Amino acid sequence: MLRFILRRLGVAALLIFGLLTLTFFIIRLAPGDPVTLYVQDDFDPNFAEHLKTSLGLNQPLHVQYVTWIKSMAFGELGTSFSKRAPVLDVLLDTFPNTLLLTVCAYIVNLTLGLLIGILSAMYKGSRMERWSGNVWLFLYGLPEFWLGIMLILLFAQTLGILPASGMHSPFAFSYSPLEYAWDVVQHLVLPVFVLGISSAAAVARYMRASILDVMDREYIRTARAKGLGEWRIMWKHAFRNALLPIITLVGLSFPFLLGGAVVVESVFGWPGMGKLTVDAIFTRDYPLIIGCTLVAGTMVIFGNIIADVLCAIADPRIKIQEKQ
Amino acid sequence: MAHRLLAAVLILGLLSFNCGKKSGDISDVSAVVALTGDVDNFNPVVATSSISSEVNSMIYPMMFDVSFDLRLSQLVYKPGLVKSWTFLNDGKDVRLAIRNDVRWQDGTPVTTRDIRFTYELVGDPLVASPRSNYVENMILTDGKFDPNKSMTVESDTVIIFHFSHKYPQQLYHLNLSPIPEHVFRNADRMSLATYPANNRPLSAGPFKLERWTRNTEIVLSSNPMCVLPFPAKLQQVVMRIIPEPTTRLAELKSGTVDVMWPVYPEDAKVIQQSNTDIRLEILPPRSYEYIGWANIDFDEWRKSGGKVVRPHRLFGDKRVRQALTYAINRAQILEAKLGIYGELAISDFSPVFRWALNTDLLPYSYDVERARQLLRAAGWFDTDGDGILDKDGVRFEFTLNYNAGNLRREYVATVVQENLKQLGIKVNISSSEANVHKQNIDQKKYDAFVAGFSVGLAIDPSSRWGDIHNTFNSTGFTHPRINELIKLGMNVSDEKDAAKYWKEMQEILHEEQPCTFMYWIKDIIGVNRRIKSTNVNILGVLDNMWEWKIGDPNTYATF
Repeated sequence: MLRFILRRLGVAALLIFGLLTLTFFIIRLAPGDPVTLYVQDDFDPNFAEHLKTSLGLNQPLHVQYVTWIKSMAFGELGTSFSKRAPVLDVLLDTFPNTLLLTVCAYIVNLTLGLLIGILSAMYKGSRMERWSGNVWLFLYGLPEFWLGIMLILLFAQTLGILPASGMHSPFAFSYSPLEYAWDVVQHLVLPVFVLGISSAAAVARYMRASILDVMDREYIRTARAKGLGEWRIMWKHAFRNALLPIITLVGLSFPFLLGGAVVVESVFGWPGMGKLTVDAIFTRDYPLIIGCTLVAGTMVIFGNIIADVLCAIADPRIKIQEKQ
Repeated sequence: MAHRLLAAVLILGLLSFNCGKKSGDISDVSAVVALTGDVDNFNPVVATSSISSEVNSMIYPMMFDVSFDLRLSQLVYKPGLVKSWTFLNDGKDVRLAIRNDVRWQDGTPVTTRDIRFTYELVGDPLVASPRSNYVENMILTDGKFDPNKSMTVESDTVIIFHFSHKYPQQLYHLNLSPIPEHVFRNADRMSLATYPANNRPLSAGPFKLERWTRNTEIVLSSNPMCVLPFPAKLQQVVMRIIPEPTTRLAELKSGTVDVMWPVYPEDAKVIQQSNTDIRLEILPPRSYEYIGWANIDFDEWRKSGGKVVRPHRLFGDKRVRQALTYAINRAQILEAKLGIYGELAISDFSPVFRWALNTDLLPYSYDVERARQLLRAAGWFDTDGDGILDKDGVRFEFTLNYNAGNLRREYVATVVQENLKQLGIKVNISSSEANVHKQNIDQKKYDAFVAGFSVGLAIDPSSRWGDIHNTFNSTGFTHPRINELIKLGMNVSDEKDAAKYWKEMQEILHEEQPCTFMYWIKDIIGVNRRIKSTNVNILGVLDNMWEWKIGDPNTYATF
């Protein structure tokens, strides 16, 4: 197992380097000037040229690449054009916020998806199962942007029971730690719901199919023949075996969750990496784009590694095949 | 049993949600402002965004107390840090005497050394300050700003600025807030924009920076040491960054935000009808939208290194440009998209500067027949019967570009396409991402485009017209008399003496139509009625934020 992980880590490092190099060239070859947006109408007309020089953008592309490689070798991610701060500082400010949002959304996603999937499989063919399937399909098809705006209008503006945006209330800095934590939880409700609910439908569908497949196996028939209850059969025998494809799905769905966070962060004003990445792209903030790509790429690659490891833990057959 | 437990938890959870204010809490002496974006820098020398400028003006000492007199249509300067000023040497020198009781947050006095140091940085090419044009009329040596010849420090409280000539914007260019020399003297000038002290500004203004969480919020608190003019009456102002306009509006309507802008015209109507606790403040317009026509053949101009200036095959003739303005139903667009929050534009001289407006000029009316006559006079006919005008083998067909995501400009492009179709002109529409669109305009790559422009607080048409090489001369229009008028207008002693030059300039622009000036846009600001004593004006939404109070006028910070 250790050798497997080390091998995957080595490959991951190469993958990330390739990804960043590709990103480096693509963003520079894309149309649009990084300094254009910073020049206001009443600025010194020479300011744009001065800024390009100070940012090193007047150098040939290959010189810029070599400079970048050298700085990356020393762990320097550079300075953000738009934030005027070290990229690392900007990422450290925002990454925890996205992590909080996506982890909570993941928990909602998995909990609801697995539960609904299991119940759908257990009550297959019933009217309730059909209705709930349609409801989840509807939720899956709803655009997150629209759903988010509607929830804000309903819960924040009309009912006034949940906050519309942000990570905490304006005066939360005067709260006690417990009050602050509760305030953040309240601010998490709507964005987590939007981010988690739509992909929960996909998890539910996969889980249902996987459970139904497992429930036809001989060992399940044997368990029933021995007189075990349905719930015991489900949790003790079927669930673990049905979980394997879901573990893979969870690992693969991570980038989609991260992508969905972009929309949700924009709508709810959540100060996370999704919004930061989009802003960096629109402002052609090259160092910040690379930094965001580094974080997102690392999370996706490691998400897949963790999914593979969990699969190996969940399925003894994988371990035996490795030994062989 | 499990169901009852679940229901109890849900009910308790709902009951405990509390998004309203608690009585007697900090929100009774504080305000919340929604910003569209974050500040980029708390250093006024290198900050680029307009939000940064507004916030910095609350933290740093302002040289003058500037206001805009709408009746006189000009900036009015009163003492601020500068308690008196005198023009010497035929107006080429300005002697400033500053107060001796102003202190930075760490107790260090604000002196003329800080002012000199600030302008030295502004004029230093290594710093690349966006405000380096503030010193371009001071004394230069070998074409570069010379701080030793441009500034003379007589004492800790007296400094003299030396200009090459007297001009109307001298005080405007002397109104840059000083930064503390003792904090920044050892900063590397090339990387001044990223110097750590930028994010821990020393205040001498009515507010101080309490906290800044990047991309989330800026918290300003009242500065008890301020004497310019006094510590802010609000205990705190929380500025929340909420980029999504729908969310900002929802926050304003639900009362969790006190001030937000811009409010879109379609939302303004709804607010006026349904929200009695919000008042709308309308600013006189300083921004306009226009359709830019390439007056010259930019491809040829670029290929020749700027030497060949040939009229554009379609828009090079002023009769064609006049025809296009006649053929576009600007009033319809204005009514549909702005209503009372806009007005038709005649030129790029803002209605704010009443003394400079040529009131003899009337907006081009919507007159399709007149447009046809002008096009015929310019030689455009449909010779091949395909429904599209042509001349010397050239079809009157072009692409109109706008920035993607801007619904108003998309509407403009669609209406223009329909309007010009009546004349036999084929218009293709194309949109680009905002950054790319701006870059293409600056690099003069478009034949026609929809764009906007904001004018400054002092009239200065030199960057917009004049030399084709100017970035902001996006249509490539030049006129020898315009260049003369700009030179004359920028070199008068008193701003109002330039009125006759600006009026003549407007006549030429009106006649030549280098672009079709569409409409001026009035900014709409939403303010919760609990905020008193606001003075939202064209200088900025936060202009007098130190005077804001909550509810009862007796409720303000005491020290």
